Order: sequence, then structure tokens, then C-alpha cells
Amino acid sequence: MDLSSLMFYLLAFMAVFFGYFTIAVANPIFSALNLALTMITLAGIFFLLDAYFIAGVQLAVYAGAVMVLFVMVLMLFDLSGEVRAFSRGLMSGIVKVGSALLVMLLILLSVLGYYGERLEIGAPPSTAEVVQPTTQDLAILLFSRYLFAFELLGLLLLVVAVGVVAVSRIKGGTHARD
Amino acid sequence: MGTDILEVSINFAKMVAIFLLMVQLVPLLVWVERRGSALIQNRLGPNRVGPLGLTQLLADAVKFLTKEEFVPAKSHRFLFYAAPVVALLPAAVAFNAIPLSHPIQVEAFEWLGREWGPYTFLFQGYEIGIGIVFVLGVSSLAAYALLLAGWGSDNKYSLLGALRASAQMISYELALGLSIVGILLIYNTFSFSEMVAQQTGPLTFMFFGQETSIGFLPNWGIFFQPLGAILLLAAVFAETNRLPFDLPEAEAELVAGYHTEYGGIKMNMFYIGEYGHMLVASALMVTFYFGGYHIPFITPEQINEFFVSQGQGLTQASLLTALVLHLSFFAKILVFLWIFVWVRWTLPRFRYDQLMNLGWKTMLPWALANTVITAIIVLMMRSSWS
Repeated sequence: MDLSSLMFYLLAFMAVFFGYFTIAVANPIFSALNLALTMITLAGIFFLLDAYFIAGVQLAVYAGAVMVLFVMVLMLFDLSGEVRAFSRGLMSGIVKVGSALLVMLLILLSVLGYYGERLEIGAPPSTAEVVQPTTQDLAILLFSRYLFAFELLGLLLLVVAVGVVAVSRIKGGTHARD
Repeated sequence: MGTDILEVSINFAKMVAIFLLMVQLVPLLVWVERRGSALIQNRLGPNRVGPLGLTQLLADAVKFLTKEEFVPAKSHRFLFYAAPVVALLPAAVAFNAIPLSHPIQVEAFEWLGREWGPYTFLFQGYEIGIGIVFVLGVSSLAAYALLLAGWGSDNKYSLLGALRASAQMISYELALGLSIVGILLIYNTFSFSEMVAQQTGPLTFMFFGQETSIGFLPNWGIFFQPLGAILLLAAVFAETNRLPFDLPEAEAELVAGYHTEYGGIKMNMFYIGEYGHMLVASALMVTFYFGGYHIPFITPEQINEFFVSQGQGLTQASLLTALVLHLSFFAKILVFLWIFVWVRWTLPRFRYDQLMNLGWKTMLPWALANTVITAIIVLMMRSSWS
């Protein structure tokens, strides 16, 4: 086993570990912190796959900005009610874990059914065939073939931002106009 | 990482050495800060312990290490202990990705009865192709340290301080990221090494499709992106929580912010993180706008040839070249670190609304305008007009 596959197994184990604790811990703040650690380990896996730009963006956007905002907002709440609701006894926990497993089983079955058979893992392409995709290639694709989708996503985000401002200013809210 | 055991172990040692370099600079910077503030305020500063007060730092370190270990009773112990470590890590990881000098070429040699090399050792912890995206991503994780410290302490003042601090960091991260886009358009790369390599020789640029050169100026980024440099400098002051943006601490009028409950070495680790961020910020400024490790008008090859002509072997010449260029890099960094100290003891603190207005209503539009105008000019100048 060489160094990169060792790193992969380590990072993959950590991603699954933190991902499990994201849903398993009762306190929402620890849950959010575990999710942030999952994001960071995912960025590490992207690094191993030579997808450096995606890895950097994963760090900067998801771990660095989105999750920081989540954690920040969660810290402002009184969370004792949520903690009690999520840690209320063994039976409900078993039911929750069981239903999660059931959903995962259903997804697995449907995926297998869709492809009809297990995916065969072929031999990895030889190093000569592998073209190292650069950030430049990504940018060119983004601004040529996927330009419409890219701009549409930007428009969607704008609509969401305007909608949030509108909703937060209706009567009775913290930022209400009157 | 390397092809054989020697290369791998040297690469690991390099990372540790650069981390230690960062940590060891902190006491010296604290000394500069105290003596510098004294100079600016017409005082003497600490001058009793050792020559120029230099061993005061040693006494401080002993004090920090032997202070009472204190944990608030209702705090989250794990988060309380994790926060100082989290504060230390991003700066160290980011600093390792910045090239501190020219790569060292080691010729093949014989040692312990076998052949080694030839090797090329980069003068940095690790080279990552996307350089700046990685550094931005990693240093954005520093906000967690503040949040963990503030929430983990179970203290209202700490929590409010942490929220104040992280809101500031998130706001200025945007201006920081946008102020860099201009220089990325000019260099056409994310990699620090390529950026530094482009800043050799006299000032050369494309003027409506014709290559123009101004002989008496070095080819530094500051001449292409003066506005970007100013915006970046202002934004990193906010990111490092230094005056005039030190609302996170504001020890004079608000309670000391997110590290109210911390003392001794744990408090010190927050300071090491802060000074580490200053170091990363200075290194970024130097790499983007002031030629990196290059000495103006002298190429690394010329220095290398000079050492070879002095009768040094190729390996030694390469090593000496790297050391000379490393000194040049550090001289430039020290100028910026001094600017950090200078500004801290010159400017008063912003009010919170002034801080937010500056970030969102002044710096962000200027950074956006800088990006758009740079893109248009780069397109116009580089397309052929004949």
C-alpha cells in the first residue's frame, strides 16, 4: 500500500467518522462542527484526487464560510430544548437509527436496480492517458459549455438573496419596517 | 513527497522547521511591538532584562508556562482546550505553502555507502498548485478558533466577543478575496512560485499589444495593482484582528473578547496564531506585490554563478543562493511586520458600524471595480492591435 492510498483510507475513515457523529451527537453545535470537519476531510480527498481547485473552494466556501455562519447562528440560540428532544431515550434512538438504515438500504437497492448490475471497476488508465485537468480547463468549460447553467445559478442565488431580505422585513420580524 | 527515505525525511523536517520558524518569530515580534510602541509613544519600553530587554521574552515564556491552569466550571472542556490549537493551525498550514526562497538543487552524492540524489528541494513546506486558493481556504478556518473559544468558555462576554470577531472576519474575507483577483488576472496563475518567477527583471508589460519595458523599476506587482495592494493590506489588518480593526479584543473599552477566560500558555497560543496570521499576510503582500524573494535586477542564476565562480560546488552554490534570497524575502517581510506594529500604535480603533461600513460599502465596491477594470485593461493590452 503506497502513501496516497494510505492517506485515502485515513481521510475516508475520518470523513465517515465525522459524518456519523454529525447525525449522532445530540448538541446541534457539535453536529455542525462535525459537519465542518467532514468538509475539511472531503477537501483532503479532493486534494488526493488532484482536484486542487475544488479542494481549495471546498475549504474556503463550505468549511470556511457556510459552516462558520451555521455555527455562529447556532451559538446564538438556547439549545437545551433541542438537546433534550434529540437525546430522549434508547427506544426512539433505535427507531431513528433503524429508519436511517432502512432509507440507506432503499437507496442502495434502487441504485443497484437502476444500473441493473454492480459497476465493474476497470483497471486504472495508465499515467500517459491521464490528462491533468487544470483550473484553466475548468474555467473554460464553465464559461463556454456550461455558461447558461452557471449564469442561471447566479440568478437563482440573487432571487434567494432578494427573497430573504423581503421575508425578513415583513411585519413582526426583527428587521420589520415599522 | 519524495522518491527515497532521505528526500521524504528532509521534506518532513522542512515542514517542522517552517512551523518552528513561525513560532520562534513570535517572541521577537512581541519584543518589536513593545519597543516599537515605546518608540512611538516616546517611552523606553522593557529594557531591564538582558541586552535591549531581549531576554524579557524568556522571562515572559516562563511566566506563561507556569501560570495557573484555569478552566471555567461550566465550560465545554474539549472545545475550551481545542480552541487555542485551532487558532495555531491555520496560520502554520498556510505559511508552509508560501515559497520562502529559490529551490535548492542538490547534486548526486555518496553517503553511508550508497548513491543519493540528485534532488530538488523547494524552500517551502509543500508546493500546492493552487497556492492562493489553498491559503485563503485554510486561513478562513481561523474563524472557528474564535467561535470555539467564545462558545466553549460559557461566558456571555466571550460569546459576544466571538460573534463580533467572526462577523468581522467573514465580512473582510470577501474584500480580501476580491482584492486578489486583479493580481491573479495579471499573473494568469494561482501558483506562488510562478507569480514570483514572473517578477524578475525590469518592469515589463504589454502596451496595446506591444511589449514595453521601463528600465529603472523592478517588475513588481505593486506597479500593476496599486489599488489591489492597498485593499489587500487593509483587509489583512482586519483578518488578523489588529488595530485599527481589533474589535474582537478591544481590551480597553469592551471585555477582552473571545479569550476572556483564557490565561497562561493557552492565551499565548492565540497570540502565536495572531502573529502567525501577520506573518502569512506579510508573506502574501511580498509574494504578490513586491517580487517575492527576488532581489531587484539580480536573477537567482546570477547569484548562483557568482558563488560558483568563487569556487563553491554546485550544491553549495545553490544552497547559498537560496539563503541569500531567503534573507531578501525576510527583509521584505520584516518591513511589513513593522508596518503592522506602526499602524497599531498610530491609528485609533474603528467603531463597529464604521468597521462594517468600511468593509461592505467602501472596500467591497472598490475591489469589484478593481477586478472589472483590470479585466478590461488586461484584455485590451494583450490583444494585438496592429
